[in-house]
Amino acid sequence: MNVLRVSKLTITAFVLPCLLLYTCIVFIPIIVSLYSGLLDWNGIGESKFVGLQNFINLLTNDPVFWPSVRRTLMFAVFSMAEIPVALFVAILLNRFVKKPNFLVSSYFLPVILSVVIIGQLWKTIYNPASMGGMLNQLLDMVGLESLTRSWLTDPSVAMYSLYFVALWQYLGYHTLIQFTGIQNIPADIYEAARIDGAEGLKADWHITLPMNIPIIKISIVLAFIGSLQAFDMVMVMTGGGPAHATDVISTHMYNMSFLSMKYGYGSAIAAFLVVICLCATVIINFLFNRLERKYS
Amino acid sequence: MNALTTRVAPGKPAAAEKSSRRFSIVRLLVYVLLGILFVTQLYPLLWLALYSLKNNEEILSGNFFALPASPQWQNFTDAIESGNYFRYLFNSFFVTSVTMVGVLLLASLASFAISRFRWRYGQVVLLIFLVGMMIPMQATLLPLMIIFKNMGILNTHLSIILPYIAFQTPISVFILSGFMKAIPHEIEESAVVDGAGIFRIFRSIILPISVPPMMTVCILTFINIWNEYIMAATFISSEKLKTLPFGVYSFVSQYSVNYGAIGAFLVLGALPVILIYFLLADKITKGMVAGAVKG
Repeated sequence: MNVLRVSKLTITAFVLPCLLLYTCIVFIPIIVSLYSGLLDWNGIGESKFVGLQNFINLLTNDPVFWPSVRRTLMFAVFSMAEIPVALFVAILLNRFVKKPNFLVSSYFLPVILSVVIIGQLWKTIYNPASMGGMLNQLLDMVGLESLTRSWLTDPSVAMYSLYFVALWQYLGYHTLIQFTGIQNIPADIYEAARIDGAEGLKADWHITLPMNIPIIKISIVLAFIGSLQAFDMVMVMTGGGPAHATDVISTHMYNMSFLSMKYGYGSAIAAFLVVICLCATVIINFLFNRLERKYS
Repeated sequence: MNALTTRVAPGKPAAAEKSSRRFSIVRLLVYVLLGILFVTQLYPLLWLALYSLKNNEEILSGNFFALPASPQWQNFTDAIESGNYFRYLFNSFFVTSVTMVGVLLLASLASFAISRFRWRYGQVVLLIFLVGMMIPMQATLLPLMIIFKNMGILNTHLSIILPYIAFQTPISVFILSGFMKAIPHEIEESAVVDGAGIFRIFRSIILPISVPPMMTVCILTFINIWNEYIMAATFISSEKLKTLPFGVYSFVSQYSVNYGAIGAFLVLGALPVILIYFLLADKITKGMVAGAVKG
């Protein structure tokens, strides 16, 4: 080890600016937020310490909270269910397409667009036919008038309309990640498997899948954490409405603190969200570490 | 479907003709599937482009795949003039570039110290950054708003640039320090023998070598910050300071019945990123994968 030996002052000069900004903007607010969860406070006036009352209300006495948790988890389940599809598409691209990069980057295009643009685009697509909505016009055209509806204001389908947009936007991302993973699997492994009689799907089951486990883990973590934090898209498209039918944990938090001015209560929800995110990351890592050990 | 399954059933290698026919049918199915996916991923964007060139009558007529009878460029002039497009564009450009410079500067300094210095807390600092990657940004919105209000910087560009830099640092430090750790130490040793100071080593040796990961950091920062909406919408209220996504949002809510102009504004909003993607698709996809994998 020939790492540079330098004075404490130099180290400070290099690290401190970055660390200081980071701590002030990310960690201190989170700690403030954890503490404010214990207050009855509207964010401006007098605050009153109420102990765990906010958390108790949240868990036992909030008609919006548990449904929003359920929708958040459903969001995560749908996003993770997309990953096998993406893996399958990646396998097909790798095996059947000579120059796959064009297709991969086309699938990826929606990923780099702002959620506001994606959200407004799909809002326009979901509009009633009388407002120029493409989906309903399409259904009318093929004779499925009975299926037309206002996709974002009908509480029974609004949430599914949102899930779909998220899946649509991120399919290309997971496909790209899985595709890159597959390309990094050495070709001679497949060659050896072919000699042993494993080709096609069989080779994918015994080689591609186990070799790609670390990459699948990355996709799962991204999908899971991304869904727990799903926020912008819901905010832009429905704001949690109609009548809380599309509220997820984070939009509930936002609406509570910024619209209902229950700052303490909103902070309690935020604290809950932070804890779930940390727990989820630990659990996913634990599960995959076991899986990776089994296959390596 | 039945005929198909019998053909797909595994054939003996001896029946070469049969197997090649089976193969071509599978191949055809795969192409159809990938083609459908291509259409579902890109058609909505093409539809938007057509929509933006139509007048209200054409949009409402229900014939959504028809080409516009005569392109309504008026929609675009409406969007640009009454929508303040160029102002939002400039604001986005300004905020994103300042953030990029800030991230590169702070993250490369910190990464250099974490990966090349001999000191006890290097790994601890790295760990602090890593933990931060799991913290949901939304949870900081409220406390930050109160802090910024007390500092008197709410509703300035600074109030979004500071959190943008902070939230981009963990991934950037992770990418940069990972790269810098792998640079051979002999390079520095000879520099030290030649009498180069620590800042000189950083500026003239480490930075030039680290250009590729810095590109990755730039790409990730650009995509994330250029598209960021919720912080901008929370911390900024004055029309003059809005960035593009926020501008798109307010335009859409103000001009709710001028459908064509809304479409035009969405196209204009997407245009900068799409243009850059056309030029740098390979670099951007590689950068995004690197960001995901390192994250």
